[in-house]
Parts: sequence; structure tokens; C-alpha cells
Amino acid sequence: MLVLGIETSCDETAAAVVRDDRTILADVVLSQLDEHRPFGGVVPEIAARAHLDHLDRLVAEALRRSAVDLAALDAVAATAGPGLIGGIMVGVTTAKAIAAVAGKPFVAVNHLEGHALSARLSHGLEFPYLLLLVSGGHCQLLTVEGVGRYRRLGATIDDAAGEAFDKVAKMLDLGYPGGPAVQRAAAAGDTGRFALPRPMKGRPGCDFSFSGLKNAVRLLVAELGTLSDQDKADVAAAFQLAVAESVADRSGRAMGEFARDYAGPAHLVVAGGVAANTLLRQTLAAKAADCGFTLVAPPLALCTDNAAMIAWAGLERFRLGQSDGLDFAARPRWPLDPGAKRLRGAGVKA
Amino acid sequence: MNVLAFDCSTQSCSAAIVAGDRLLARRSALMARGQSEALMPMVLAVLAEAGLGWPDIDLLGVTVGPGTFTGLRIGLAAVRGMALAGGLPVAGVTTPETIAHAVPKDERRGRTLVVAIDGKRADLFVQPFADDLTPLGPPMALMPAAVADLAAGPLLVAGDGAGRVAAVRPDATLSSIQGPPDPEVLARLALRRYLDGGALPPVPLYLRPPDVTLPEARV
Repeated sequence: MLVLGIETSCDETAAAVVRDDRTILADVVLSQLDEHRPFGGVVPEIAARAHLDHLDRLVAEALRRSAVDLAALDAVAATAGPGLIGGIMVGVTTAKAIAAVAGKPFVAVNHLEGHALSARLSHGLEFPYLLLLVSGGHCQLLTVEGVGRYRRLGATIDDAAGEAFDKVAKMLDLGYPGGPAVQRAAAAGDTGRFALPRPMKGRPGCDFSFSGLKNAVRLLVAELGTLSDQDKADVAAAFQLAVAESVADRSGRAMGEFARDYAGPAHLVVAGGVAANTLLRQTLAAKAADCGFTLVAPPLALCTDNAAMIAWAGLERFRLGQSDGLDFAARPRWPLDPGAKRLRGAGVKA
Repeated sequence: MNVLAFDCSTQSCSAAIVAGDRLLARRSALMARGQSEALMPMVLAVLAEAGLGWPDIDLLGVTVGPGTFTGLRIGLAAVRGMALAGGLPVAGVTTPETIAHAVPKDERRGRTLVVAIDGKRADLFVQPFADDLTPLGPPMALMPAAVADLAAGPLLVAGDGAGRVAAVRPDATLSSIQGPPDPEVLARLALRRYLDGGALPPVPLYLRPPDVTLPEARV
């Protein structure tokens, strides 16, 4: 079974072809980083324009690299939410058009399900497992019971982890995107110089919060006045450690809940762009080991936004007999667990 | 030659198929949003009504704007996806030119025609044409008062922004064409432009730089 996948929900334009034996035949990603960098964040209209400019060429390139022609495909999948609606519409409309002309089914994929199932593409992991999704737009812990079957254990009540990294990078004038910039600066920093809060640590439940930590950094930066490179490195190191410890604490609680509900081998999957942070991975690996879990981290190319995970999620749905109509409406907000309580402060994130 | 053409560039969604001079199928619906859901089912409906399959289509026609940004992108993403999947050529036509070609000859005679498209902003997307439909300038984004200065002589205004121009130029004549582009006119014009080499590539004519409003501007 072969599925073409398209991803356009944020600032990466991507197309990929995957096969049901977990082979990625082609995975083409075009980052729009340079277009958004001057604004210190993703500008929706710039993103939507860039997706339209490049998507058809990238799809052609993915088909060429995979040496697959459209007739050989079983389905065409595209991210249909959640994310920036202007870009999503470009991807969804392109996918519908290709599907209609090629006479193939269209599968609308929840971007978060793409992340959630990526460990099955990379590692062949069996259900159920615990998922920590940490990215620029999301921060949540879910049990993954099957395709389309998710139970949210916790989510951020304000900012996403990646957002906090971006904002702290801005305060420290480290550049954009913030994740890699903070990590680079923190490498030369002393984690012990400044004490920052560990948001939610020790609290019941598995929710996250990063806005208090962000404010603590803001106050600290204001107090320091002019920042030397060493000041920046020390603040970055303290902030990064606070995020890692807070996320590990919340994940530890979720592992406890998961272990109570499910017997057998226990896996914690970490996905999303913030999973690229080395300290976070190390801290999570240690916490997972303490809790009797194995940490599974898909390769970085599958953690940041990509179309291989979208093609794979589409494939998983399609082989269960699921597909969508060409009148499918894109969904800017599309929680994986529709039964979970809406967390107001998190906007569309939860 | 069978031409499939569609438009989502203003407040509607429409599609038509012409075979040379003959109209085979035509559908349209007014909508401020929802083109991304409506377009492909509408395209399949006109194909079915025309009794054609994708291999029977020889050319795709599409409006390239100016118009609403999201609508433009939906039409252009669809046409580019179809062109890729079907190996089909695309003939792009501007939205004002498509509207201009729907204006009856007797309305145009002796007048400068200004097509005005309401992009739901303070300014309008406009393009002036001579009475024989020769463009007198490129499509532009102008405030209604500036549109009024485009023609000193007798003025005819068409398009869904015509009323806003007439409000500042009371002497202007309102055309009977004040709606969205007609997909049949578009299909015929796309074929003509394809044959005379005047077709545009499926690239959006935004005429305005992106609004740079960050999802969350404050830190």
C-alpha cells in the first residue's frame, strides 16, 4: 500500500510517499524559516503564500524521488488541521484535486495524529503507548490506544513549550527559531546561577504551564539590565533546565497513570519539534527509566513537521477502511481527544 | 477542445466546461467562504453533467485575481494539483478581465469600463478597459475616490465593487454585471488566451503585501 502525504499546517511545506512496510520512499521538506525570521515568528499570510508557491513542485519531486506514479498510489492524504488555516487550505485543496484527477481516495489527517503515530512508522511500536507531544504549537500527554483513539492525560493551560522557547530567545535576543537558539546559548551557561520556577512540579494531574516561567525570565532579564553573552548563556541554561524538569515531572505523573491502566511493556514516545532538545531528551530518558518505561524518540526528521508522518497516519486510517469526502472542511482546531476538557488559556492548542 | 474552468477569487465558487463554442455544463454558488469544501464536488458535478471524464479535458482555465487572498489560493491550489495529476495545461486570466468580458457591448459603447472588485477592505481592486475591452492599465488596488479619477469621460462600472465607485462618481453608469466572474465567460476567455499566447501562469495576483500580524505579537 502506497500513500502520498502533504503537510502545510505551519511553516514547512512538505510532501512524502510512504509504504505500508514502513518504508519512506520520499520525504521532501521546504522550510520557510528565512521568510519568517525577520518577524520573530510565523506570519500566517506569508506562510499561506509560500505553501501555494512551492507545494505542487514538492509533490512532483516526492513522486519523482520515490519512482512512484500517481496510478500506483492507494490514497492521497493531507493535513486538514489543526494549524494555520490559510496554509491548511492550500494543502487540502491540492490533495483533493490530485485525488480527484487520479481517481484515488482522499484522507484528511489530523496533524497531531501524524505526530502521535510517527513512532509506529519509525519503530513499529504496538498500541497502547504514552505520548508526549511537545512542539511550537502544542504540549500534551496522551495515551494512544489505537488509530483515532486517544485519551488526553494533560495539556498546557497557557503557552506551548516551543512558544516559551521562542519568547525567551526573543527576550535574550538569541534569534529565531528559539529552540535551537536557546540550546546553543545554554551550552556555555551555568544552570546554577539563576533559580527559576519549575512550573506545576509536584502538582496533581499532568497539565503543563509555561507562562509563569516565561514571566520569571522576563523579570530576571529586566533586573539584569544590559546582558553580557555569559548572562544570556546562564539565563538560557536555567530556563532550559526548568522546562526539562517540569516536563519530566508531568510526564512522570502520566507514566504513573498509564501504568495503572495498562499492563505489559510500557513506552513513552516523545514527538514534536521540542523533542529535538538534547537536555529534554536526557531528562525524559532518566525519568522514563525510573518509571520502568522505555523512551522512544522518532528520528528528528520525523519529530519536526514533515509529510512522511502525514502519509503514514493517512495510511493507517486508510487501511482501516477510513477516507474522507472531497467536501471535507479543514479544521483550525481539532483535538485528538474530543472528550477532553477545553483549556481556555491554551487557545486552539487544547 | 474541452476546457474546464473555475473561479473562487471573489465571493463565489463556480465551474463550467465548454467544448469549443458550446457550453456543456455550468454551476455557480455565492459564498463568502467554504470554497475549499465546495469546489471539487462542483467540478465533479460539471464533469458528470457534461458526460466527460478527466482524460477528455484538454485545458484548465482559472482566475488569478486580484480578489480575496484565501479564495485565490483555493482556485490556484486546485488548478495546480489538477495540472500536476492530469498533465494538463493551465490558462490563467485576471478576475477583472473575466468580469469585463461579461459586460454587454451596448453598455460599453462610448464609455470607459472600470471593473471594481470588493476585497472587503477600504480599497478596491480595479482595472480600466476601453469600450472594445482593451485594458487601459494593469489591475490595481485603489481607494474608491481614486477609482473615480481613472476616466474623465463617460464611465461604466462593473463588478461587485461597482456600487462603491458609483457612490463617489454619481455620473457613472452601473453595468448590469455586478456579480462574480461567470465561469462560462472564463472558460471561453481562457481558451482564447491559451490560443493567442496571452494566458497567465497559475500564479496569484495579490497586489498587496502580506499583512504582517504575528499570531501573538506581545512577548
